[in-house]
Amino acid sequence: MSSFVLERRKVKRTGFMPAFWGGGILAAAVPVVDMALRSEMYVGRNDSPVNILLDANWQMMSMLNILLIVAGACIMYHTEYADNAIQRMCTLPTKESAMFFGKTAVLITGSILLLVIEAVSVFCCSLYWFEPTADLYIEIFKNFGFFFLLMLPVILLSLVIASMSRNMWISLGIGVVCVFVATMIPTRNFLPTLFPFAMPFQRLGNHAADAVRNYAIAGAVETALIALLEVIILKVRRLFE
Amino acid sequence: MSFLSLVGVEWGKIRRSKIFLILVLATIILWIPSILNADLNFGMQAEGISPENNFFIQGFMAMAWFLFPATMVVVTVLQIQTEKSGHGILKMLALPVSTAKLCMAKFVVLVSFSAIQFLMSVGMYYISIAIASHTQGYDFFLSPLFVCKEVGMMWLSSIPMLTFFWLLAVCIQTPVFSIGIGLASVVPSVLMINTKVWFAYPMAYPFFVITSEYGKLAANISTEQVRLIPWLPTAALITAVCLTISCIRFGQAERR
Repeated sequence: MSSFVLERRKVKRTGFMPAFWGGGILAAAVPVVDMALRSEMYVGRNDSPVNILLDANWQMMSMLNILLIVAGACIMYHTEYADNAIQRMCTLPTKESAMFFGKTAVLITGSILLLVIEAVSVFCCSLYWFEPTADLYIEIFKNFGFFFLLMLPVILLSLVIASMSRNMWISLGIGVVCVFVATMIPTRNFLPTLFPFAMPFQRLGNHAADAVRNYAIAGAVETALIALLEVIILKVRRLFE
Repeated sequence: MSFLSLVGVEWGKIRRSKIFLILVLATIILWIPSILNADLNFGMQAEGISPENNFFIQGFMAMAWFLFPATMVVVTVLQIQTEKSGHGILKMLALPVSTAKLCMAKFVVLVSFSAIQFLMSVGMYYISIAIASHTQGYDFFLSPLFVCKEVGMMWLSSIPMLTFFWLLAVCIQTPVFSIGIGLASVVPSVLMINTKVWFAYPMAYPFFVITSEYGKLAANISTEQVRLIPWLPTAALITAVCLTISCIRFGQAERR
């Protein structure tokens, strides 16, 4: 908990939270603009409003989310590596991994903010342009809960990438290449979409119940594995420093 | 100090930055799916495009829509951050060289990086068609003249976009915003090329050029064609405005 508070303070003047607010509002504007310009394409389709809206816009919204997460992760480690602050952190009587998990918690908070802003936008669009269904709240909650779970591997992996390089452009470059790989992966096959950067593109409405369960399990397993990987990397790196 | 030697100095600064490794990695990753899915090029009867043209267009489309703009944002980060670490910029500003000249030298390096990335992509394209021709038993070869003409057009059309990224990098001191705005501005280009005002959005130019070529090569697909009249003046205006502002603003935060 204390490392979360510490990391939260560190990012205070980096523009981290305003960037997440801005990114969230930008992504939330995607369905609103789309509906305002061409609602006739969507209204009257035989599906739930949330599914129609996410089907049309989630690709772009999740892309914005992932890019923001990658940039956010790079900035968080950049503040450590610039001016060698990380050396001071390493001399503190705490585990080096505590810093990583503190940063993870901050990035998770930012991502929850993103998802909440986007969920509100999808909710408002559903009310304004469609007939509200009885279980609208539950549907939005389920969908965005699923998105959150599948976002965790990306959050951790981008932090792992960012923690490995002293230079921000290297971690950002690798992150960008990973996002590009994710956009090239066909969404229909199960195995390739398990690539962490491709996971957030998955939607609840696209899959049967057992596929959803598989994705949820994969998300949780990947999160745990990546966290473990970072702990090992930190231990090994310490040996060679 | 002549402008050319300034550009040489800027090149020297990033010689050991490992940015080339990332660009090479990006270029290799770009063409791997095309090699693996080379057989899909034979099922394009509905579009009416020949397999070799399809191979070329799909690969460069993937590059123009996201990979190329995003890596250029990374290069601007590299240029700004190498200068900021160790307060290198302060030493540069102390030189008897005009800041506008310094700014332009850095921009020329950025433009040459974009050229290098396109050249590497052409190289990788020829390697991958050699592999694909071998695996599929079909000749995917296209004349280098045609390929270079198309790629050259994409490169030229990307210069206004580069000026915009350069403007972001110079004017916005908080890196998370300059990176975030740069990357986020790339995402809507896929929508912008389908609107009437595509020519006002520099991030969509290279993608627009390659999609309009797709429309020319595919008999059954019509895409919007390049119309030079609203485009060229708008692009020139955007380039001029972005470059002027970045030259004025360059180093101003440090001089305060």
